[in-house]
Amino acid sequence: MTNTVDSPVTAESAIEVQNIHKSFGVLQALRGISFSLHAGDFLTIFGPNGAGKTTLIKILAGLTRATGGTAKVAGFDVGNGDAGLRQKIGVIAHATCLYADLSALENLVFYANMYGLDAPEERAALAIKEVGLEGRMHDRIGTFSRGMQQRISIARAVIHDPSILFLDEPFTGLDPHGSKVLKEYLHSLHTKKRTLIMTTHDLSCGLEMGDKVAVQVKGRFALFENSDNLDVPEFEELYFATINNGN
Amino acid sequence: MRQYLNQIKAIVLKDLVTELKTKELFSSMFIFALLVIVIFIFSVDLSIVKANEVGPGILWVAFLFAGTMGLNRSFMLEKENGCLEGLILTPADRTAIYFGKLISNLIFLLVMELFILPLFMIFFNIDLISFLGPLLVVIFMGTLGFCAIGTLLSSLSSNLKTREIMLPILLYPLIVPVVIAVVRMTGQILGGESLGSMMNWVGLTLAFDIIFIGVSILTIDHILEE
Repeated sequence: MTNTVDSPVTAESAIEVQNIHKSFGVLQALRGISFSLHAGDFLTIFGPNGAGKTTLIKILAGLTRATGGTAKVAGFDVGNGDAGLRQKIGVIAHATCLYADLSALENLVFYANMYGLDAPEERAALAIKEVGLEGRMHDRIGTFSRGMQQRISIARAVIHDPSILFLDEPFTGLDPHGSKVLKEYLHSLHTKKRTLIMTTHDLSCGLEMGDKVAVQVKGRFALFENSDNLDVPEFEELYFATINNGN
Repeated sequence: MRQYLNQIKAIVLKDLVTELKTKELFSSMFIFALLVIVIFIFSVDLSIVKANEVGPGILWVAFLFAGTMGLNRSFMLEKENGCLEGLILTPADRTAIYFGKLISNLIFLLVMELFILPLFMIFFNIDLISFLGPLLVVIFMGTLGFCAIGTLLSSLSSNLKTREIMLPILLYPLIVPVVIAVVRMTGQILGGESLGSMMNWVGLTLAFDIIFIGVSILTIDHILEE
């Protein structure tokens, strides 16, 4: 089975996904997704709960293996578990990946060391400053609010300056200030020609930020469009129509 | 290679700093090991049996049971907040993650054992000071084997709902040869024999240590994969 909507796969793509399938036992989470993105593209993926968005992100990040199909990210086959791929990507997921008993600075110094960065303390302090939490860098992560933890998680994900960033519902738990900081940060990454894939349920925010949008329903892309052709009311209508058709 | 060693060092330091802040692992392992020894003290009549004959078994039961608690907790720490996922996403070789966790587990267990030894000496009225050198060598070899396979299996069982039950079920049958060897060696050392006279047991323990580490290096990639 292939997906309903394909985008052309080209040789110079930053991300190339061809007919990706993923099954968990009898449950088919992904049922043939294909798309490609060039360096600097920002794809927002929408879709109802259980559509397989997180599974797709996990496969692209090399965290789980696809049952079928191929995916190349930054030129690396994601199934091979290349360390080079992990150096090129950053992932912001539901979980913060932060140690609750360590301070924000200790967490990021640890990750900077794991990425083999020079001057890990300086890099960690700078990353914390960029998410606006320099005043709390010596406090334990366990004392942070969910939104503040998410901001430190963003700093963790980009500490090695990845060229491709995967964001799985990154605005979950963020207050308006945190959302604003994250939006500005993602915008700055986009202008620096970083390739981004984000999943979200916020239609207007996702449409505003992404230059490409996809609607994933039941493990397939039911829609893949350039976002400049769409305004929010029009997209909302299209989204619900797509979901209803997909179901 | 330098980056590989730095990554191992980063994991060990992270675990040590966490433990220094929380003291969860050491305190729970120490109290558990102490309780095991105290319970055995009341259940064994030392006027009938020789302390250096029953002592080694009791000592190693305390070490292994307390160590299992430590191993269970070790990878649980990585599962909280999805930290293991964050660790897997870094370009670090999976074996660096394994060795980092192995070394920190080894340090925690050895420290706990060093605190238990004097109490064991007092409770069983055994002079360990005269045999301290060879005894520490045996404890190190046994603990290394236990941690080598235990770290691998705790990473495996950390993904299971029944992780607390699964780790001992998987671990104890595999560790039996090492346990037999170290209990025998500890008994012989307390009986006044030199380490040189028990090279067959030393060889067996070291062989299993190497096998456990080798198997872990070969399989950790697949085990850490979701």
